[in-house]
Amino acid sequence: MEARSDAKKKKALVKTAIFGAVSAVLYAAVFTHANFIVHFFAKGGVYAALPVATVFVFSFAHGSFASNLWSALGIEAITKQPAKRPTVAAPRPAQRPRPRVRMSV
Amino acid sequence: MHDVAAEGLKFIDLTWINVGFLFTIGFIGGLVSGFIGSGGAFVLTPGMMSLGVPAAVAVASNMCHKFPKAMVGAYKRYKYGQVDIKLGVIMAASATVGVQVGIKIQEMILAKWGPAGSNLYVSAAFVAVLVIVGGYVFYDAFATKEGQENKIPELARRLQAINLPPMMTFKTANLTISLWFTIPVGFATGMLAATIAVGGFVGVPGMIYMVGASSLISSATELVIAFLMGFGGTVKWALNGMVDIRLTLIILAGSLLGVQLGAIGTTYVKDHMIKVVMGTIMLIVAVSRGLAIPRYLTNLGVMSTSDSLLNLLDKVSFVSMCFALGVGAVIILGAMIKGKRAAYKEQALETVPAAESFEHV
Repeated sequence: MEARSDAKKKKALVKTAIFGAVSAVLYAAVFTHANFIVHFFAKGGVYAALPVATVFVFSFAHGSFASNLWSALGIEAITKQPAKRPTVAAPRPAQRPRPRVRMSV
Repeated sequence: MHDVAAEGLKFIDLTWINVGFLFTIGFIGGLVSGFIGSGGAFVLTPGMMSLGVPAAVAVASNMCHKFPKAMVGAYKRYKYGQVDIKLGVIMAASATVGVQVGIKIQEMILAKWGPAGSNLYVSAAFVAVLVIVGGYVFYDAFATKEGQENKIPELARRLQAINLPPMMTFKTANLTISLWFTIPVGFATGMLAATIAVGGFVGVPGMIYMVGASSLISSATELVIAFLMGFGGTVKWALNGMVDIRLTLIILAGSLLGVQLGAIGTTYVKDHMIKVVMGTIMLIVAVSRGLAIPRYLTNLGVMSTSDSLLNLLDKVSFVSMCFALGVGAVIILGAMIKGKRAAYKEQALETVPAAESFEHV
């Protein structure tokens, strides 16, 4: 059990390093050309796609880094399903009593 | 294209202090958002403006960071089985209409009473909504007795029992309710988002008390709404060239760390902790916005207050807003530590009998 947890932590650590490096390269790329990028991205019109696409790329790289970082630090979700609540019976249209067949002998 | 707009903007020079401030607020805001589904935006926009960022750029850059943060948070909580995508999409669709109506009301007020009137309206809406809704959420969090956390609120129970087609079944939220009762909640969320930029302060309580979803499901589903609405808003602002991508990326660096920690935190705590955090933040923010009202009343000529007092009130207002976020973060981290300890204890108890039985063999 503990060995499996250690292996999981090690895997997370490797992923943290990889995605951390990718994230650092992306941030360095933007901030070493900050003046150019900030004005180019703010041209409006079709250039609007640039900031939107950028945040998606950063979300993937930095988001994966963050997720693996917490796992490597041992901070992980407790796997449990959210408690089910008692449900209210789905409302149905009013029902009339069904006619009964009676035999008159 | 829109070069003129871009050239007219002033993109601020970044210092290490600015970067540190934005990263920290981003992290704490992300933590709160990951936990209660919203929050952070109310501090980030004025926070950026206090650094000298023009209001439009601050709103645009904040929104551009908000939707990917919400996307990552929603994905994380979806993996924990807490997100009802169908409910989120329906709520977001009606919220979009609410946003348009909210903007129209803002424009009407701006045209009639000018910027001071508009600011007064925003602050009054902030105080009224946060005191009423936040107060009830806070009361309910502590009034709910042990073992009754999973009970459906009375109003939601009654609404769910009304057969008004089309009836919608939400599998993850585990409920069936008429579409006509979800629309007003989404609409109000959108209107509030257009007015005070934090629609979740109505959206989450609305889903809990009107629709009847649990706090966990409601706060997680709010992230779907925030993503869809934030994405639409960002495209609109980006088309006008208002996004300062540097500010967005710095905040995102902190908030992606925070939002995932907040999402993990929800698996450690009981359902009512979401209400505790949300109610606490809402009430402190209400006080903070209340402190901003004298300035707008003075600008409108309704009352007279000295400049030094107004400046002091502005500062206290901003600090108390940061305090609201900080208190929320402390409660979340405290609850997480407590929950983690309890989980460890449970684990230890489960392993002890197994060791004993092994000795007896």
